[in-house]
Formats: sequence, structure tokens, C-alpha cells
Amino acid sequence: MAQQPFGAMSAAQIQAGLKAKEFSAAEVARGALDRIAVADEPVHSFLEVTEELALEAAARVDDALVAGTFDELGPLAGVPVGFKDNMNLVGTRTTCSSRMLADYASPYTATCVQRCLDAGALPMGKLNMDEFAFGSSTETSAFGPTRNPWDLGRVPGGSSGGSAAAVAAGLVPVTLGSDTGGSIRQPASFCGVVGIKPTYGLVSRYGVVAFGSSLDQVGPFSRTVADAALAMNAIAGRDPLDCTSQPNDVDFAAALDEGAQGMRVGIVPEFLEAPGLTPEVRERIEEVAAKLEAEGATLVDVHLPNAKAAMSAYYVLGPCEAFSNLARFDSVRYGYCDSGHKDLNAQYEASRATGFGEEARRRIMLGSYLLSAGVYERYYYPAQQVRTLITQDYARAFEQVDCILAPVSPRTAFEFGEIGDPTEMYLSDMFTISINIAGNGGMSVPVGIGRDTGLPIGAQLVAPAFQDRAMMRLAAAIERLYGEAPVAPGFADGKAGE
Amino acid sequence: MTQHLTESDVRGIAEYTRIGLSAEEVGRMTVDLNAIIDSLAPITEYDLEGVEPTFHPIGDLSNVMRDDEVRESFSQETALGNAPKQQDGCFLIPSILGEGGDC
Repeated sequence: MAQQPFGAMSAAQIQAGLKAKEFSAAEVARGALDRIAVADEPVHSFLEVTEELALEAAARVDDALVAGTFDELGPLAGVPVGFKDNMNLVGTRTTCSSRMLADYASPYTATCVQRCLDAGALPMGKLNMDEFAFGSSTETSAFGPTRNPWDLGRVPGGSSGGSAAAVAAGLVPVTLGSDTGGSIRQPASFCGVVGIKPTYGLVSRYGVVAFGSSLDQVGPFSRTVADAALAMNAIAGRDPLDCTSQPNDVDFAAALDEGAQGMRVGIVPEFLEAPGLTPEVRERIEEVAAKLEAEGATLVDVHLPNAKAAMSAYYVLGPCEAFSNLARFDSVRYGYCDSGHKDLNAQYEASRATGFGEEARRRIMLGSYLLSAGVYERYYYPAQQVRTLITQDYARAFEQVDCILAPVSPRTAFEFGEIGDPTEMYLSDMFTISINIAGNGGMSVPVGIGRDTGLPIGAQLVAPAFQDRAMMRLAAAIERLYGEAPVAPGFADGKAGE
Repeated sequence: MTQHLTESDVRGIAEYTRIGLSAEEVGRMTVDLNAIIDSLAPITEYDLEGVEPTFHPIGDLSNVMRDDEVRESFSQETALGNAPKQQDGCFLIPSILGEGGDC
């Protein structure tokens, strides 16, 4: 019998097959491992493959199948899952794609990862990212970039590029990533998969290496909205180890078939008129809006007049928080150490200069400058005031609508090296950043390929805080209009990038 | 482009953040940081009179308390497990009191 393409199946299909005894969880794990070994070679989404952990987890699932307790295992039972490499998992390294943490052994397991394991997931390994999540292309990984399965000459987006590419290449059905300014939604858009940045506080950040602590949020990637809902059910909720995490009693998988009928969908005219937004993306978002209206949704123009300041607020707040968080890498307790120096300061300076890549050094130094006396008042404090205005903008918009529809990224995936200037790279997050600033939930859902570039386009849906179910309901309606996300053509039917 | 930072400023920030940069890297970093700071201008041009800052998206969160219970923690071995250098159950660092100091 030909090998089943388990990674290309949905979580729901895998679970149905396990229950029908068509295959075992061990076969799922082995099949996914074999597929990763072959098909990830051109993509480079995995930094570490956890064969032993996957097979151990599969054995537990198979035991439950024999004992008749499979349904008690949890929403991800038997599903291969990969984790962004900023998430600790005992038995793996957690590198953040940085030379600084190249040999860092996870001393404990992040809550989001543990909850996937507790929900019966098969942990397949750790996924490539921009170094410390600083980037929008995965090009800043110290271990080499991940390539976009739709076109290996293009970036997968970032920072969670490995998490998006692994799903798009059909290596695994579900991965986790993290999103500080767009790092789940933008790569999901570039790779043509579903990606959810939940409302800040819905998922625990414990054990996820911190970048911007008031902005970071963990969320899932998948090829179907239903699979993302299963993952959300596994990871959402209060964690005593993250005091910002909030209780959750929502079943995200339950709301998906209600359709767009009766939903009020907000359109932001200033987003659609933004300079830099390519015509193929703008026209597709307008088409999605028209189709939703035909499905019975009501379109309402809403205005986010302060969203235009989100980019500059983010590039104040993000580096300030990163500067603070990255002070811990001291070459003494853990991390890269440039040894042989006679005094400690020389060891610090050499270790941090060599251990951090260029973008990390830039953001640390920028944050340090912005928080210095006299400069703080000019940038940091006003950025936090602007955050109030942006939050109020969203609150006013959500008095009129249930969800906002917007572009994710102004364009489809770009080529390697195409964007060299840091400030130009930052523009690829122009539509996603304000959501992190306000803290709302946002997600990317695939809406076909672009007429000009032939590459995937994502539509962004934004929900009021802790109403993430609303955007997932709308995403499911859009998925019915545009079809479930396919495995990238070069990786369908057993191909490996040819 | 406005010169927000000179190379001398950048050398000072590098020293403060303990990042050793070569002369050539200082030059490039100065250009990059000035360009980025230029792009932050919109934040300085807003009328923010009377607007309260939001330091955190969950604004109504006040101190979150829990009982002070003894729980399982890292072993010394785990805590030292990622240390680049260790000796006698401690982190090992170069002398901090000057070369040859008795420490």
C-alpha cells in the first residue's frame, strides 16, 4: 500500500482514520517523519525533528485506541504538530534561530506546547524563524532561511516562516507560531494557509522566549479553519504561570458552520487606499467583501484614523521591550559565550556581538536609545498614548461591526534579498501591527492566488478582544467560498519541490 | 535625513548594551538607526494632550496574587545545565575585580 500522506491530511481526517482503524498513530508518526526527511530538504522548515518524542506520543495514542479511550485524549489526538523554535520543549533545543541559543537545551516545556501534548498531539519538531522573531521573511535565521513551498525562490514570510511553510508543504497539518506584529498572519498569507493570532491573553506565553511582552501571542497554523479551531481548543485558557493569561470557556470548533449570514463586516477604506497595496491584493479583498455580502453579511465602512501611527508606535514599543527582554543573554547563565577574555565586560561584549545577528543588534540598540533619558519622553511615552487612541479606534469600530475584513500584507511573497532596507521590510506588517498594539484577535485566511503573481493571498479578519470565535466563523464562511487551503502544488501528490 | 545619533552616540549605546562593534559596524549601525528613527517621526507629530498612555493591552489587570506555596523547582543541575562554564556547582566567570584579584 502506498504511504498515506499524513501531513497533507487534515487533523479531522487523521482522527477519523485512526478511529476507523485504517492506520495506527505509529504509522501516522512514521509517515510524517519520512515525509519530512524527504520533502523538507528544499524547504528547510524544521530545525530539529523529534522522532523519539513523536513515536512515544504515538504509542500512547495507539494504547488509547486499543483501550477504547481515544475520545478522552483531547482535540489533537494523533495529530502531528510542529512548534516554532522559540517554544521550550524538554528534550529539544530552543534556539530562536539564533547563534546565541544554538545549543540551548529546553529546561522545561512551554505551556502552549504542553497543552498540545496533553491534547494528544504527536510532536514532530521545532521550526525555523527569523532570529528572535525579528523579521518578516525568515531570512534573519542564523541557520539559513526557510523557502516558500509555492516558489522556492521566495520567502515564506516571517517571523514564523517555518511554521507556515511546514503546513503549506503538507509536512504536518498543524503548527504553532507566535505573532508580535504580524508574525503568524503574514507568513500564513505568503504560504496560503490559515494562521491565527488570538486576542492577547487568550494563550499563555509561559515558556515562549519573549520578544515584546505586551504584544506577543501564540497561535496555530493549519490548512483548514476547523483544524485551527482544534488547536485553539487545546491551547487557549488561563495558565497560573502567565498572569496575563485569561480563562476561556469558548469551544472554537462549535461556531464554524453558522455562515456569514447576518454578520456585520467592517471595511476600512484607508487600508484599501494605502500606498503600497498591490492591485491584485486590493481587488481580491474587495471581491471577498462582495461575496460575503452576497452570502447575507452586511458591509459597513469603519474608520481607524490612528492606525497610520501604528507602524511608528510599534517600532518604538517593540524594540524597547526587546531591548529589555534580550538583556538576559549574558553568556554566563546560558547562551553563546565567547570565552578566553580576562574580564567580564569583554566577555559580554564579544559574546553579544557574535551571538546576536545584525537585526537583533539593531533592535536592542534602538530600544536602548528610545528608553534613554530625554528620548523616552519624545518616543516611548507618546507611543503608549497612541496605543490608547488605536485601541479606542477599534472599540468604536466594533460598536458597528462584528468583524473587520482587511488585507494581511500589501503584496504576495517576495524574492530572497528583494527587500534589503530594514524600514522597507517593516512595511510588510503595515496592516497587521495595529492589532497587536490594541491586543485584539486577528487571523489570515487564504483567498486564492493572485492574478498577477500567481502566489497565495490572505484575507485578514479582526475580532473584538476575546471574540475570536467571530472571526473564525467568518473565516469558515470564506473557506467555503474559496476552498480549503491546498498543499503547495510542488509538494502535492508526493512531490518534493520539483 | 536627520542626524539623530552620531557615531560617538552609537559607540556609547553599544557599550551600554554590551555589544562590541567594530568601527565599520558602528558606521553602518549609525546609518541604519538614523533611518529607523526618522521613520518614527509620526509618533512625535501627534497632538496627545490629555491622552492617557496604555502600557498593556489588558489594562484593567491589577496585581495578580497567588498563595505562596512551596512547589517543585529546578534542580541545581538543571539550572546549570546550559551554563557555558561552571565550577563547583556555580557559574564560572572571568575576574570582575581586575586581573589577578583575589576572588
